[in-house]
Amino acid sequence: MRKSRGFSLIEVMVAIVILGIVITTTISMFAERQKRLKQANETILAYQALANEAEIWRRIDFASLDGQPPVFQSDLTILAPLAPYTTAVRIDTTRPDTKNITLTVRWSSAQRTAKLGIVRVDTGGSSLW
Amino acid sequence: MVNDRRGYTLLEVVVSLAVFGIFLLIIAVVTADMRANEKRYPINYMAHPEVSAVMARMRKDIFDTKYYPAEFQGYQQTPKTLILYTLKQTGFGNTVVWDFRTSGEVHRKEFNATELTADWAAHGLPDFTIGSYTLTTGQDAVRISATDDQKRLAIDEIFVPRPHN
Repeated sequence: MRKSRGFSLIEVMVAIVILGIVITTTISMFAERQKRLKQANETILAYQALANEAEIWRRIDFASLDGQPPVFQSDLTILAPLAPYTTAVRIDTTRPDTKNITLTVRWSSAQRTAKLGIVRVDTGGSSLW
Repeated sequence: MVNDRRGYTLLEVVVSLAVFGIFLLIIAVVTADMRANEKRYPINYMAHPEVSAVMARMRKDIFDTKYYPAEFQGYQQTPKTLILYTLKQTGFGNTVVWDFRTSGEVHRKEFNATELTADWAAHGLPDFTIGSYTLTTGQDAVRISATDDQKRLAIDEIFVPRPHN
């Protein structure tokens, strides 16, 4: 007499579905983590370049700001892993004595952007901070 | 004796291998993407609290620097040793030596005149290099950089002292 007849089709299918859900969830979590780590690495590099560039634009004479080419002037070696990337500098005059400077780095076919804005105020030539 | 065990059919084995293969393929694709990112991006040292602490303290020191002595108490100004005279909140200044000569470590020594008043160390750090950097505006700055074990530039920050009159 045969006592053991194995699993039914339903039992096997339920087991496979549960296993599939667990494995799919694990892999998708892993992939999401990798994506976020990659984005964090990119952001860290971009903001180092932005901070360095801000040091330059913070110290350019107020009267000379509009005459500057709207491009980054600092060494951008740190951005090499993001290539191809683009940089831009935008100067908005909000008041006669105030200018907003927005520094931008775009990469991943312009799908990712990092921006840093600084405000420059005409102090009349003094180095008062 | 009757043998009840008949084993698996060829179809069962093939289906099992196919399912297993699909899982392996998915894992291979995910890990390949991870390895590609590892090769492309330098190590994110900024996530390391000790590195952040070093950068923050150094930024503050350089921000309030009045000048950089060429040498002080046997220390020389080199790419691995930064000597600066920085203002304190009291309005007086102290001489600070940042010593990166020991790989993986940094020592910050602060002197009031010639007396050592503070000695701070951090460990597990990347290989830092100190350099000078002149902005397009002419101002002198300090450039702190570090590369990872693959010699990829991981940290590159410019600190500019604010003007002190």
